[in-house]
Amino acid sequence: MSGKQRDDAPDYKKEKKRVDGRKMDELRPLSIKVGVLPNADGSAYLEWGQNKVYAAVFGPREALPKHTQNPYKAVVKVNYRMTTFSVPERKQPRPNRRDYEISKVLGEALDKAVFTEQFPNTEIGVFVEVVDSNAGSRVACLTAASCALADAGIPMRDLVAATGVGKAFNELIVDLNKEEEDASDAVDIPIGILPNSEEIVLFQMDGLLKKEELDKILPMAMKACKQVYEVQKKALQEKYKLTELSEANVEAGIAGKENAKNVSQVKEAKQEKESKKETKEVKAKKVKK
Amino acid sequence: MKKLVIPGEMVSQERKRLGGNVFVSDGKIYSKVVGITELDDEKASVVPLEGKYMPQQEDVVIGVVSRVVFAGYGVNINSFTESFIPKSAMREELKMGDLISAKISYVNELREADLGFPRRMFGGEVVEVIPVRTPRLIGKNGSMLELLKQGTGCDIVIGKNGRVWARNGNSELLRKVVTFVNDNSYKSNLTNSVEAFFKAEGINVSVPKKDESVGKAQQVEESEVIEESEVLPGSEETN
Repeated sequence: MSGKQRDDAPDYKKEKKRVDGRKMDELRPLSIKVGVLPNADGSAYLEWGQNKVYAAVFGPREALPKHTQNPYKAVVKVNYRMTTFSVPERKQPRPNRRDYEISKVLGEALDKAVFTEQFPNTEIGVFVEVVDSNAGSRVACLTAASCALADAGIPMRDLVAATGVGKAFNELIVDLNKEEEDASDAVDIPIGILPNSEEIVLFQMDGLLKKEELDKILPMAMKACKQVYEVQKKALQEKYKLTELSEANVEAGIAGKENAKNVSQVKEAKQEKESKKETKEVKAKKVKK
Repeated sequence: MKKLVIPGEMVSQERKRLGGNVFVSDGKIYSKVVGITELDDEKASVVPLEGKYMPQQEDVVIGVVSRVVFAGYGVNINSFTESFIPKSAMREELKMGDLISAKISYVNELREADLGFPRRMFGGEVVEVIPVRTPRLIGKNGSMLELLKQGTGCDIVIGKNGRVWARNGNSELLRKVVTFVNDNSYKSNLTNSVEAFFKAEGINVSVPKKDESVGKAQQVEESEVIEESEVLPGSEETN
């Protein structure tokens, strides 16, 4: 074959792509749903590429044990955990060094966004659980946690949007996946910002980067974080649809409640039966005695 | 114009008096919470859609006795900390799990609430709602509360801490309506749709006509609630 190229062949030099076919500054598909856990004050579920994360917020509530209280502000207490099945090799369920570290940095990042001084002596419990992971789970958790905080109605300066940026295969890229993170020259920078003021609240770096490269990559990170912010915003707005209540809606609402009522009635009937059985048994025992 | 905002979203670019749940940065006004904006010529505020109960002076709350000690009772008012009622303030002894209604007499800088006028509530049941949505259950000038009373025939006390106490009447229906209001609290024209709700259940109710003085609604309501709770103990003791 000569050097002549076919017309329909993709020109790899002109448009460089990554191992999974993304552009250099393209995020993995991201979706967030808010208010998924009924028992939490606020919650969110996030899917980011292969990452799947639940975040639940409890509080502000009285911080116990009492020595953890701060009379000037609320303590944002993050609990980052990975399920045993979230990684290829089974993860020991006991929290390890990495879990403690991530919990700490996420707590400090969220602390910057929340008006903690409004809730003295309290704790805001944030629980993030990684169900499935593929590089960048801490930024996924931070993104989900800030949505959950907003859903809990906790006063905040801004949401926290986060992404991973870095270098792999000699290219500066955004939102690294596992393959890229494992590259020999990989640099991974999880970065979290307050999108409106562009303040950086989380910045870690794994690997080495030239100063010029860092200067180049920061604007990329800001841009990517703002894309994440748009998704967060949409997720929060999705929960409430500003519509007038029509009569059809009202009736639909009643129908829904009606079903719920039927279910509860069935449950009650079951419970009654059971309790009757129990009383019968008790009576039988008494008779035997 | 009403608008749905999220934390950090701009409410107004102009200089205005600050209402609730907003903060200023760089001379512009931003929202602190997920909520709906309320703007007029001089004031900017956000009505929150989610949130825990923040005790405030003069609030009527419904508490549950959670602790009994020699000197008095610990009362859970759905806030960050438990409140305390000395035994001397009560005529009768309380048990764990008893319901009381009270007015918050003072809140300190740590948001610990002191309770005044504690009254034991006899019978009835409690529906829990999201605390920041209770104003919708009361409505302008108490119109929604009036509607609920008419529609269900219940005696109702609405605690600002997200607990609705009801006795007599059709409490099953009340539970449904209150959940309906709680779920749809961010929509406009709620009173009308609740009217439709009752109509669908075969109950006809009329909305009381709105007075001109709309802004004073909540203050009027609170005094109404207190009057009602004053009626409570005597009427039940005969049962």
